[in-house]
Parts: sequence; C-alpha cells; structure tokens
Amino acid sequence: MSGKEINLIIDGREVTATEGEMLHDAAKRGDVEIPVFCYEPKLGDPVGACRMCLVEIEGIPKLQTSCSTPVRDGMVVHTRTDQVKHAQSAVVEFLLVNHPLDCPVCDKGGECPLQDISYGWGPGRSRFTDQKRHFEKPIELSPLVAIDRERCILCYRCVRFSQEVSEDEQLQLLERGDRTFVGTFDDRPYVSPFHGNITDLCPVGALTNYTYRFRARPWDIEQAGSVCTICPSQCNVSFTVRDERVKRVLARDNAEVDDGWLCDRGRYGFEMFDAEERVRGPRLRGGVEASWEDAIAKAAAALKHGGAESAAIVGDASNEEGYLLQRIMGEALGSPHIDSRPSRGPNRDALVRLSQPEISARVRDIDDAETILVVGTDPLHSSPILDLRIRKAIRRNGAKLVVATEAPTTLDGGAVAVVRYTPGDGGPFLAELTEALAAAGTPSSLGDRRDESEGSPEVDGADSAKRSEGAPAVADVLQAAGRVVVVWGERIGRGEGAVEELLNVATALDLASKEGSGLLEVPDFTNARGLREAGCLPDAGPGLSTRDALRTSGGANAARVGMGTEEIREALESGELKTLVLFGVDPLRDFPDTTAWKNALAKADHVIVFSTFETATTAMADVVFPLETHAEKDGTVSHPDGRLQRVRPSASRPGDIRPNWGVLAELSLALGHDTGVSSQPSAFAALANEVPFYAGISDSDIGGRGIRWQETPACANAPEPTEAPGIGSPKHSSEAPAERFGDPIPGALALSTYRDLWAGPITELNPPLKFLQPQQRVELSVADADRLDLKAGEEVTVSQNGTSIRARVAIKERVPEGTCLLLEGVAEGNANALLNGGPVSVQIEKTAAR
Amino acid sequence: MPETRMLLKNAEDPRLRTLDGYKGYGGYASLEKAYREMEADEVLKELEDSGLRGRGGAGFAMGKKASFLPRGEMNKYLCCNADESEPGAFKDRELMQRNPHQLIEGIAIAALAAGAGHAFIFIRGEYDSQADILDAAVAEAYEAGYLGRDICGSRCDLELVVHRGAGAYICGEETALLDALEGKRGNPRLKPPFPAVQGLYGGPTLINNVETLSNVPHIVRNGAEWFKGFGTEQSPGTKVVSVSGCVRRPGNYEVELGTPTRELIMDLAGGPREGREVKAFYPGGSSSPVLKAEEGLDLPYSFEAMAEAGSMLGSGSIIVADDQVSIPHMALRTARFYHHESCGKCTPCREGTNWTVKMLERVVRGEATPMDLDIVASVQENIIGHCLCVLGDSMAMPVGAMVRKFRDEFEDVIAAASEGEPAVAERIAVAQGAAETLGAAT
Repeated sequence: MSGKEINLIIDGREVTATEGEMLHDAAKRGDVEIPVFCYEPKLGDPVGACRMCLVEIEGIPKLQTSCSTPVRDGMVVHTRTDQVKHAQSAVVEFLLVNHPLDCPVCDKGGECPLQDISYGWGPGRSRFTDQKRHFEKPIELSPLVAIDRERCILCYRCVRFSQEVSEDEQLQLLERGDRTFVGTFDDRPYVSPFHGNITDLCPVGALTNYTYRFRARPWDIEQAGSVCTICPSQCNVSFTVRDERVKRVLARDNAEVDDGWLCDRGRYGFEMFDAEERVRGPRLRGGVEASWEDAIAKAAAALKHGGAESAAIVGDASNEEGYLLQRIMGEALGSPHIDSRPSRGPNRDALVRLSQPEISARVRDIDDAETILVVGTDPLHSSPILDLRIRKAIRRNGAKLVVATEAPTTLDGGAVAVVRYTPGDGGPFLAELTEALAAAGTPSSLGDRRDESEGSPEVDGADSAKRSEGAPAVADVLQAAGRVVVVWGERIGRGEGAVEELLNVATALDLASKEGSGLLEVPDFTNARGLREAGCLPDAGPGLSTRDALRTSGGANAARVGMGTEEIREALESGELKTLVLFGVDPLRDFPDTTAWKNALAKADHVIVFSTFETATTAMADVVFPLETHAEKDGTVSHPDGRLQRVRPSASRPGDIRPNWGVLAELSLALGHDTGVSSQPSAFAALANEVPFYAGISDSDIGGRGIRWQETPACANAPEPTEAPGIGSPKHSSEAPAERFGDPIPGALALSTYRDLWAGPITELNPPLKFLQPQQRVELSVADADRLDLKAGEEVTVSQNGTSIRARVAIKERVPEGTCLLLEGVAEGNANALLNGGPVSVQIEKTAAR
Repeated sequence: MPETRMLLKNAEDPRLRTLDGYKGYGGYASLEKAYREMEADEVLKELEDSGLRGRGGAGFAMGKKASFLPRGEMNKYLCCNADESEPGAFKDRELMQRNPHQLIEGIAIAALAAGAGHAFIFIRGEYDSQADILDAAVAEAYEAGYLGRDICGSRCDLELVVHRGAGAYICGEETALLDALEGKRGNPRLKPPFPAVQGLYGGPTLINNVETLSNVPHIVRNGAEWFKGFGTEQSPGTKVVSVSGCVRRPGNYEVELGTPTRELIMDLAGGPREGREVKAFYPGGSSSPVLKAEEGLDLPYSFEAMAEAGSMLGSGSIIVADDQVSIPHMALRTARFYHHESCGKCTPCREGTNWTVKMLERVVRGEATPMDLDIVASVQENIIGHCLCVLGDSMAMPVGAMVRKFRDEFEDVIAAASEGEPAVAERIAVAQGAAETLGAAT
C-alpha cells in the first residue's frame, strides 16, 4: 500500500494522504472525524452499508460514503455542510427507529459507538412513534456470546468477520429488509476459536460476552494494556479491571503482532487467574503453607545441597525471570544445566544462525509474502493468530501457501500444495526440499518439471508414499516466488540436524537477500525466544554467548556446556543431578515421557517448583513458589520475531503472591550472591546490559507496541555464526522409516501428537471454557480403521512399549495412512505418556468390554 | 394512432417461438451478418451510433455501456436482466414468451460486441413457463450453431445459461443480480467498481435488460440510421409499454418513443371505464413519481419528457389511477411492496421503508395527524440519494410525490377514517388483504 502522497482539502484544511487511501482514513489525519458503523478496514473491502459517513465532494452531485471513496489529488471535501449534517442526522434517526434505546441497562452504555454518534451527529430526538421490532432476547449465539437482536443495527461487521477473517462462514444475515437478523444456519451455536472478536467489533450492545454481562459499567472500570502470554502469538491485550480484578480482555490493535484480533483463549482465559487451583503463596511439601522467609531459606538450602549438580528448566517466564534464574544457576551455583525447551533442541551454533536478522521474518511480512511455507506446525493450535494472518495473506493478496506437516492442519484447504511426512521426519523432508531446490535451480530439470505439473503442484497428502514427489512440488512453488515466509514449528528441531536442514532451505532460497522474506518460528513456549536470548540454554549464556564468557563462581570444574532438558531428566534418574528448579513448566503434563519424568522427580533430592497453579508436578515438589499471571506480572517478553514487548501489571496479585523477579533476586541473595537487581527496571537494565543486541533498548522504546531488536542500532551486535552458512550435506542416512521406529510391529502406527488449542488449564480451570475441554481421541485414516476394524467413537487402548492410554476412535480422511494422532496435555489419557523424545509407533486395540 | 411494432412484430404467430418459425421471418440473419461479416468493433459502433437506451429503468445508452468494458483477453460476461419484478412491468415476459429467439440473437450479437464468452439470462423465478420456453429456444440455438463453439465459423464462442432467480425483487438490481448469480445472498454491491470493470466473478460484465437486447438484431440488420428514424432524438426506437391499472384494455403496446402519453392511455389501452376519469398515473412503473392527469397526459412518452416533468420513463410501465382510487391507499400499497422487498443492507432503505409503511398504515386507519404527513414527506427526503442502491429511492420518489401532490386527499382520508367512514374501512381491508399476495402476483 505504498502509493504516492497527495493533497486534498477537507473542511478547509489541507490534508496529506496516500493515493488510494479511503477518504475516511485520510480525514482522520486532518483531525476530521467522520462517523462510521460498518467501516472497519480490518474486515476487508468496505461495504458502504450503514451510510453514516456520507460527505460532500465538490464536483459530485450526490453525497458519497467516505469509507469507500479513495482520495484523489486536489479533492475538496466538506463534512459539516448543512446537506451533510442533514444526511448524517437522518441516518442516525433511521438507525434508532428499531433500536430499543435501553442504554441504562445495556452493557455497552458508556462505551457505545451508537451512543456516541447519536450524541455527536444525531438529531437529538426521534420522530418515530410506532412499534419497534421485537425478538426473543438475549439468546445464546454461542455459550460465550449473547445476542440481542433488537439492539442490532445490522452493520455487517460480525458477519464479515465470520466470512472474511476467520473464514468459518457460520454467521449469516437471515431474512431481509427490517426483518433481517444475524444468526447461524438452523440456529446452531457459533463455534470458532476466534468468535469472541465479534463482541469487540459490535458497535452496539447486540453482541456481549457472557463473562462480562452485568459485571461492570464503563465508569467503574479501568483499561490496562498488556500482552497475552498464553501462547507465542503474544497478542496485545487490554485488560478491563474492576476492583483490581480482571473482568474482560479486549484486543489492543497492533498490526505488527496480532492485526487487532484475539483468540478465544486469550479473551476468555482470564477467569483462571482466580481459580481455586491457583498457588497463592509459598508452599512446602504436602501443600503446607510457609512464610516467604522459610520457603526461600528452604529453597536456598536445597540449591546449596545441589550446588553445581543443580539444574533448572524454564517455561512460562519473562525475559527478566529467565535471566535471573540463569544467573542463579551460573553465578551462585556454578551449574550450566539450564534449558528452556520441553524436549531436545538445536545447539548454539544453529540458534545463532537462526537469529541472523537477514533471515528473520516479521509477522507483518506474512501479509505481503508471495509464498508461505508452513512446516511442522499447525498455527491454529500453536499460535492461533498466525492462522488468521496466513488466511488474510491468501485471501487479500493471493499468497500461495504450502503446508508440510505430519498431520492435517486447518490451513490445508487454502494451500496450493500439501505434503505429509512421516512423524518425526521434518528434518529429512527439509533435506529433500533443499536437494529439490538445488535441482530446480538448474534449467534443464526446471523445464522438465514445469511440463509435467503446469503450475498447480497439487499433492495428494493422503498417500505418504508420494512424499518423495512432495518436496520437488514444494520446491517449485517456493522457487517461483520472490518473497517467501517460512513459518516453522520448534518441534521439528527435536529431530537431529533438522534445524540445520531448515537453515539450508533458507540458504537455498536465498532468504537473506530477499526483502520481506525469512523464517518465523512457532515455539512450544510463549517466550521461548526471550528465554534463549536471556541465556536459558545449556550451551549458551545471555545473548547466545558461549559459556566461556560465563562468570562462574562455582569452581574451576564447572562444565561449560550443560545438560538439556532430556539429559537433565536422565541425570536426575541416575542421581547425577541432585536439585531441580522448575520455573513455569509442568513436565508431568507437558513434556514427553511422563513416566520417566515422574521417576526423575521422585529420584531428585530436592525439587523447587515455581507454578501458577497446583499441578501433578507441584504435588511432587519440596518448595512451591507462586507465579504471577500476565495480568499481574511486570516484565518483558520477546516475540518469536524478535519483538520485545512489555507485560504490565494490570490486576492485583491474589493471596500472598510476590513479584517473581524479586523472589529470584532474594533467592540469589540467600545463596550469598547479590544480583544487584532491586526492581523490574533494574532487572531489564541488567539483561540489556548482558545481551549485546538488546543494548540501548529502553522501556520507552518498548512502549505499548514493542520493538524488534533487529530494528534498533543494537542489531549490529547480533551474534556472529561461527561457521559460514552453506548448504551442508544432508546428515540423514536414508534408512527406511520402519527402522527408525524400531522393530516393526505388525499393525503398529506411527504416532504424531499435538497440543490441542483447548488442552490444559485453559479449559480445565476457566469455568466458561469448560465446555471446550478436549477428550482424548485417536485420529486415524479410513484405511487403517478398516484394517484394524475400528469404528468411529469406539473406545480403544493405545499402547507403546508397555504404556497405554485410552482414547476414542475418530476416523479422518485427511490423516495419512500409517499414522495416528493423539492429543498432548489433556487431563485424561495425555499422549505425553507414550512419547520418549524420539519417533514412536503405537498399537491400537479395542478396549475389552466390561 | 396504431402501434409501431418492431419487437412485437408477428408476435401473435405461435410458431415464432421455434427456431424455424423465427427464421421464417428472417430471424438470425443479423447474427449471421454480425459473426460472418462484421468485426466486433463495428458491431459495437453500430450499437453506439443507434443511441439505443437501456429499457430496464435507468435509460443509460447501451452501446456506451458496452464500450466501457476493457479490451483484451480475459473472462468477460454478459448478463441479461430478465428479473422483471417491478409492479406494473410485464413487457419482458411477453417478449420472452412470444419471441425468445429474438432475445437470444440479441444476446449473441451483444456478446460479440462486448467480447463476452459467457452469457446468462437471469430470469425471475415466477416466470416459470417463460424460462421453459427460453430453455427450449436456447437448446435449439445451440443445435443450430448460433451458440456454443465457433459460431458461424467466426471462431467466437458463447455459452448461454438460463438461470432462474429465487423471487427477490432486489435481484433485478444489477449488482445484486451478480451476487445472486454467484450463489450468494442477493444484495447490491458498492459501486464503483461498476460491473463493466469488475462484475460477475470479478470479470468485466455487461448487463442489459431483455427489451434492450431484443432491439439489437434489428439495429444490426437495418443499421443505426434506420433505428434512429424511430422515436425522438434523445429517445430513439420503439418502446413496449405495459399499461395497467384503471384502463379498459390493459396490456403491452409497442409505440415509437415520443408518442403522446394520452394516446397510449386513452386510445391504445382504451382509457378509464365509463364515467370515470384519469386522476394520476405512474409513467414508468411503481418506482416513478406519479404524475397528475393534467401534468402528464399531454407529455410525449419519452425519457427526456418524463425526466423534465420530475418523473421518469423507467421500465416503461404505465399504471393508471382513476378518480375512484384512493391515493393514500395507493401510497401504502407501493410502500408495502418496497418494504417487503428491501434487502436490508443499507440503513435508510431498511428503516425508511419500514417507518413509511407504519406511518401510512396509521394514515389510512385515521390514527395520524397532518403533522405525520410532514414526517412522511421528510422521511422520503431523508431516503432519497442516501441509499446504497436505488430501491429506497424507488419507494421514496413515488410516495413523496403522492404526499406532495395529493396532500388534501391524505388529510381527508385521515379525517374520514378517524370517523369510521365505511368506504374507507373497506379500502383498508383491500389494502391490508392485498399485502398477503405481494411478490407473488403479476
């Protein structure tokens, strides 16, 4: 949208605007407000339905809607002439003909665009004396959203959201004329993980959240801007706070991050802040309440006992918290054993290469990408707001999407090519892709391939045997594009050498020299990038520095390269490590191999857990410290694209919870090591001081919108890769999948697992979201279901190497033959029980009838 | 003065419906001429020169509209608007029923001029038998090679599909028609972009009325100059006029444009019944502002004369009200139709039609005051020019004109009804009962 600048005159003021911009937006730059109801650029093209924004343009006899009139150079516009005032006042009068004007009992009252515009532009009184229309009200549009059709002014916004943004197409306008109403086919509930956005969009009180109805009035609330840290999307939110408690979550527009949308997890997931399961103060083993002094002394003693044989795993933490914890480990204990990943991950060299600014994509780059490759992740489940962003790029800009995953994704339908690789084979797939890209670069083979598959490399994902055809097809699409954004799941990095293969793909595509191209990670933990950059890695300190630079006080024999998550677990089991700190992680729910973890936690001499909620893991801890939620915390987080964002305290901390940075600083003091951190700003300053590429970034630089370190002068300090990146030789031998999965067991299926959007505390601890709680189900292909004689809905036992879980059968056409899918993180039958960090295959048997 | 039949020539011969019958009267000669001997640009120029104005309502020059379509290789479309749903209009029905091949020939020629490879006839759902006739005629035309691939060896292709609408008046609005044709809810689109630039499936689209397209073969056969010999300078050609209401011989009459309106109503349609007098009439369908007899009867029936008189020729449908007709009831009847058919997308039309009906109902029930008539008039003004499409204006213009021109009668009806005068009560029953059949009757 980079057009040339033009000048126009609005109400006598000269306004500079971009050619092609809508008049309404241009007027805003000249401080002229033109009232609108239906216009919302986030929803796509204007519809011109409400007619509120009629203005006079010299040279055009009829009034024009400013929302749909592109500006031209020299245009002369009037927005306050008698003719315009008359028209606008007429539209307000019309809008109020069927509006109940029940403002005193309406939740929207006081923050209602219809109210504001009626006061500002309306006639002040209505001449309408007849009967208004009536509907049953309020009724459930969904279990979370109430609809009051009498208040609706039929502005189309919610319907356009459903049709053009979330693309679920469930909301429709039914009937016509003044009988029109918003609804779904057959009155079914509106089900979509993004549907809460319609309550933000509604310019009247027609769509309200059940979680907020009658809970507060606009004059007794405060809005507090923060960042949602439920998933790596890190959407900007605004908390509605009343009496120091969060009552509502609204989207806070930031085109660089979330495009102004919020998923229902972020929107409705706030009631768990006050859940009964919340850890409200320090606890000792058995849930015994303890004073802060006692708990810290106890934890310090446990850590002293462990010394350099202590380890820490960090998950849900701010940059400062991660930074302080790694300092405790390194400086106070001399232990390099710290990690911030649920399983295996790439080494420092690979991470340094990944962090190169030239190959990093911004979220916004998705909008203008010609081709988007989604590999090894389903954004809907792992970073929902990216799902909308990718859909937008396809719908509005005709971007081509390629999906390469183990399992079907919600984006498959919009993809030009879909490739399914065997579970765990992300690395080999990327290696193949690199080879195919190299081959496609040579003119002869390029010509050959083009002849065969004329532009549409539609790949049948159902047949895994076609995998080898997949990579060349993907290569063709990628090769043809200028700007490529690769959205990749951190999980593929669990495979040996997979991230190196990804970097090879980036090199083969020459992402570094293409403006608007790059890699964008979808990590497992919200603040994965920030924690890595803060030094929560076994082989790197703050700023991805090598451990050589670490100021260890734990003696000369401190190892420079520590253990990663899985090694920590093994070392705990073998007694090699003594004390474990878990900060914002719940291994018994979220990490692969539950049994081994249970064993490790039992074997450890001491376990110190920082947790928001009581979990199976806190039950095994010696000391439990409470964590703050993102409504309470003060700290920074780093978006996967490098954007530092600030989480601000919005609500009060329940019970006896203390700021976590302070607890860590105190713990360090108790260990005899002064971190020098006495406040959140001093913690951030210390962090920025140690991370060279955060240098000079201040709190005001971060502000309300965040700042990418790649876009600051500190970018020059980005870590240098140790070896020159080049297309390395594929590290994978071409062993058959069966061999890698161990002895082939007849009837066994390769297991692919994913974390469902709704699995975990989000649905278990939020009463309004309980109805969404997923039950374990095993998804398999029609062919496998036939072969195993399984019917949909049947209860089965899924087992692997002696461990088994129960699940119900779901038969899905798009699941590749030979693969089955299970959910991680569910309350019952968590698939993590079956995993062991590597690829596994499982057997499925009908559960014997009792 | 007799009729001047061009489009309805030989219409009484039932064989005209068949390909053989049509060809027997010289049919498809124009198509053959256009496809065999003429360049697309020549055809287009002929149409532009003829000055043929759209017969659907707006009266926009057909050739000019076709010339707006961008040149070059792309998917272009032609849509024939056969969704004739305006109360008072029934000319397209007769044209399709009696002479379907004339329309098909016109479509094929217009498609050549516009460079369209796909054409659709969007016919209103209630025109069931007419759609059957068109289906049969289209099949014959395909068989004879006048449609399909390589028409008359010209290497030009044309696919023609007859699509039956689902009965919404709004789908006669050209952009709503396009949405409905695409399988969406039939709502008008925002213009610009105009269909000529971005229409059906996003491609340039020419949309013309049945009667407009039916004129095309005659223009191509006889030339633009010949065509301009009919009608007036600004309104060349003939017009099939549907005359209905309080006349003795309602029906379609084809006359040269510019024929005195009096002749149409009094001579051709037989005038009002014995002892009655014409009080007022809609000159161009129910959406045109009514003209009082003394204003309108002596006007020439042409686009320009009607516009000058503050009304419009519209689709060319005259509805006559004699001295027994209650204008307030006619206003209510009109408003009810548009209220029923408003799509609801834009505010002034959705709420304005609803409000107007409620006020007029109070007027005929005697529950209104003269002040309410001011509000009725003001609401009509608030609708006009503020809507997304012309549907709102289509109610506001005639209703506004009726209140303005027959204010006394409205006040009389309020007074009489409030005193329970039986004659008025009877009319209320008629007016209210009639609402039940709206949209289904023509």
